[in-house]
Amino acid sequence: MYAKLVFRNAKRSVKDYLVYIVTMTICVTLFYAFLSISSSYYNPDIGSEYDFTLLSDGMKAAICMITLLLLFLIRFVNHYMLRQKQKEFAIQSIMGMEQKTIGRIFFAETLIMGMISILIGIFFGVFCSQFITAMLLTAYGKPYEISWNLFPDTVLWTVAFFAFSFLVVGIFNTHIIQKTKIITMLSAEKENEPELKKSRWISVAVILFELITVWAFITGIQKVWFYYDSRFVLPVQLMYWGNILFPLLTLLWSAFCLIKKGKKNMLITGLLICSVLNAFTAASVAALTNKYYLPLGAGMLNQYLLFLLIDLLFFIGALIYLASSFIVAWKEKSPEHRYHEEALFFFGQITSKLNTTSKTMTLICITLVLAIFLFIAAPILVGWASGYLDIRSMYDVQVFSRYNDVYEEKNLPQDNYEIITDFFAAHEIETVYDCTFNLYLPKKTDFHNRIKYDFPVVAISLSDYNAIRKMLGYEQISLGENEFVTQWKTIATGEERNSFIAEHTSVVTDGGTLNISEQSYSEEAMGESLYNSYTDVLYVFPDKICEELLPVMRNRYITTTKNITYENARELGRLFTAKYPEQAESGVAYGVRFSTLQTNSAIANNFILQTGMIYGAVVLMVICLTVLSLQQLLDAGQYKYRFSVLRKLGVEEHHINKLILKQLSVWFGLPIIVAIIVAAVVIGYFIQTISAEISAYIGLTALMLQIGATVGILVILLLCYFISTWVIFKRSVNS
Amino acid sequence: MNTILELEHIQKYYGNGGNITKAIQDISFSVEVGEFLGIMGASGSGKTTLLNCISTIDTVSAGHIFLEGTDVTEINPKSLARFRRENLGFVFQDFNLLDTLTISENIALALAINHTPAGSVEPRILEIAEKLKISDILNKYPYQVSGGQKQRCACARAIINNPKLLLADEPTGALDSHSSQMLLSTIQSINAQLRATILMVTHDAFTASYASRILFLKDGEIFMELRKGSDSRSAFFDKILNVLTIIGGGQSHVC
Repeated sequence: MYAKLVFRNAKRSVKDYLVYIVTMTICVTLFYAFLSISSSYYNPDIGSEYDFTLLSDGMKAAICMITLLLLFLIRFVNHYMLRQKQKEFAIQSIMGMEQKTIGRIFFAETLIMGMISILIGIFFGVFCSQFITAMLLTAYGKPYEISWNLFPDTVLWTVAFFAFSFLVVGIFNTHIIQKTKIITMLSAEKENEPELKKSRWISVAVILFELITVWAFITGIQKVWFYYDSRFVLPVQLMYWGNILFPLLTLLWSAFCLIKKGKKNMLITGLLICSVLNAFTAASVAALTNKYYLPLGAGMLNQYLLFLLIDLLFFIGALIYLASSFIVAWKEKSPEHRYHEEALFFFGQITSKLNTTSKTMTLICITLVLAIFLFIAAPILVGWASGYLDIRSMYDVQVFSRYNDVYEEKNLPQDNYEIITDFFAAHEIETVYDCTFNLYLPKKTDFHNRIKYDFPVVAISLSDYNAIRKMLGYEQISLGENEFVTQWKTIATGEERNSFIAEHTSVVTDGGTLNISEQSYSEEAMGESLYNSYTDVLYVFPDKICEELLPVMRNRYITTTKNITYENARELGRLFTAKYPEQAESGVAYGVRFSTLQTNSAIANNFILQTGMIYGAVVLMVICLTVLSLQQLLDAGQYKYRFSVLRKLGVEEHHINKLILKQLSVWFGLPIIVAIIVAAVVIGYFIQTISAEISAYIGLTALMLQIGATVGILVILLLCYFISTWVIFKRSVNS
Repeated sequence: MNTILELEHIQKYYGNGGNITKAIQDISFSVEVGEFLGIMGASGSGKTTLLNCISTIDTVSAGHIFLEGTDVTEINPKSLARFRRENLGFVFQDFNLLDTLTISENIALALAINHTPAGSVEPRILEIAEKLKISDILNKYPYQVSGGQKQRCACARAIINNPKLLLADEPTGALDSHSSQMLLSTIQSINAQLRATILMVTHDAFTASYASRILFLKDGEIFMELRKGSDSRSAFFDKILNVLTIIGGGQSHVC
């Protein structure tokens, strides 16, 4: 009998459970898709030079962390279903059904819905895992083929995880149902009546904001006191004074409002404007420090980034808090707006809801900003890392040395690293190119110059330089008598290069003075170990001159006919480090890099980073949208009454439908638009600060593509939630 | 006198097949312009069904309802809402005010829905508020005022569009006796001063005694009609009680 009741209930109330099913399905899909990578049956063809175990362990850890967020969501959606069904439970208990039984029936219902979601979710998960496989194989640079595989262990994990969560939440819910009094259940619907009072959290937020502003003000004064110099350029001066002035303005405005006993809204509107100004000057600190190498003391950048973060958070909170006041002000401004058909009703709906839920809205908005940021930052960081990888691992084997801790000339590296030659002979590894070369100091007197920003630029002989260019497939270059050229790192900007070349048209060396050649620079990527520490440029001198200079570093670059296998690379790396440690007694720092190992670990780490961030971002978005949707649906009982009043007053159905659509649009639109604006500013700032890296390693097209993908996913999720909320909302209002 | 509302052999059935409940058997009556008509009856006598049919919220199974010559039962369902808001005013037992709007906005909503020019909304609200003595609570929210004040606000909302017919369903049902009395005087003055035609459903004899004519329903039929004429209200009240006693069960029912 009970089983029949459960099935009938489930069948009848499938629409009531729509949001529940949508949310659960998305959760299962994400969980399955991302976990499928770590399946033991998952065996994509990534080649023998790569090792996959590193990746799957990392993936598992990342997924587990993010999955904790899903638990919160499951709990939240269940709580909503419980609230929805309270009245039904009350009637069942009045009729004499035991509350224990009611709890079990509810548990069985949610379990059926949950199982349906798991089935649909796994189905979509198989689809989505294709995307992830595509991502993975592209990351390893392999061609991609679609394969439809259901991994038994992943399915088992997914079912087990969700069944376990359902069980825990179900037991919890059954317990709640047993403990609730019938009268409380009966009046559950009335519980949602809006208290038309604004919540007090904003007062706490204002106090915290004031405290941080005091801190920022003191910091600003300190900075001017210790570091200010009237010779700074205008933007820097503005930054210094702005960081005192705007916090001061914030404090003065608060004091003014306090003395005048002004309205709270006036205070907060002022603070809202101040937070924008503060954020602007705080943000300029990082940007200007980067540009002008300003001395600001240790940890200062982090402190100003913290101020920036606080300003942004306060901005979001204040904006949402004031949103209803803005709407009221707009309404009051003109009777045409106010008395246009059902506009009054609409304003009432929006302001009452905003007043009571501004805290939740703020949290949702902040979470959305975080999600959007993760989404866009993930590929930027990954593109940066993998672009950097291409530049770092240009040679199959790369041996380099540093003289940073060598204080005697006799201790400088002289070796030919024969250990590699022996190992290659033993393992029958054939080389294509093999080049061992020196890097020289133009002037011997610079040997003891170890100041970080004043490290000498080193030089390479033309023949070695051309040998390396040949290795990389670049054209050979030639030099005239007493001429030199410069070779640049990819990261260096055109501006830096031009100013350097303008200042160094001739170089005085121990072998005579050299003039810059007509073709003054070359900027093809040639690896990172070709340059001295802290410098982005290398001189190329004629061989004759180099013979008279002091060699300070000795490198060896090798390319092989076939990729060195993962095992061989590990073995050779171990042998090399045993003989040439990273910090030898003589002070020389030796290093060896194998492209096999570099690529493998970089790809795996990047992939974990990328999928982790994207998974996290999607989960956060789903959480935000679920909460938004349920916030509306929880009040559906209240809304049913209000819309019935409208109907009795003679409002046509299509007007009511339009009102519902308008209300939901504002409800979903407001936090999303605020989040997009703030996220755009944050991302713009982020991209601005690392624009050099982006143009060097990622490229604008890839970035735009990523932003497009983010917008696409956000829109799809939004549509899913908007439509299901709309359907349920209309249903409950019209019933 | 002009007839404003005319009902011809109204019938309303619920259910289907062999299981039919006749909520209204066969009712015919007419209402004159400016009349204050009360409809009384016990629970289940069909009075709320009748009101719903007149107000076009429900449809009749047979018969016709004419409001100023228009056959309400023939109106296209899509135009019903428009018909309602232009011709009828409602007062409900549970007020049906929107808690998100102030008293003044609640009244303004009825005007706005009816496409009243924005400029004339506020003067009209002030005018009606003056008449119903709610001027000082116009900017308060419904949860900040008393039940009597809420119901007077509901009355103001119902009559602000000058409806042809004001329908009141148990308007005093949720009020204490003092508030009821005040509200009924208000309704009576609306009837007398504004010449509004009022149709009020109630099961309370005291409330009904404010009407000028009363129809008693029993089992879906008009059982009796009572006119106040030149009687004082207390005399009329006694008459109503007598009728109720008869309806409540004559000798034959007791045995």
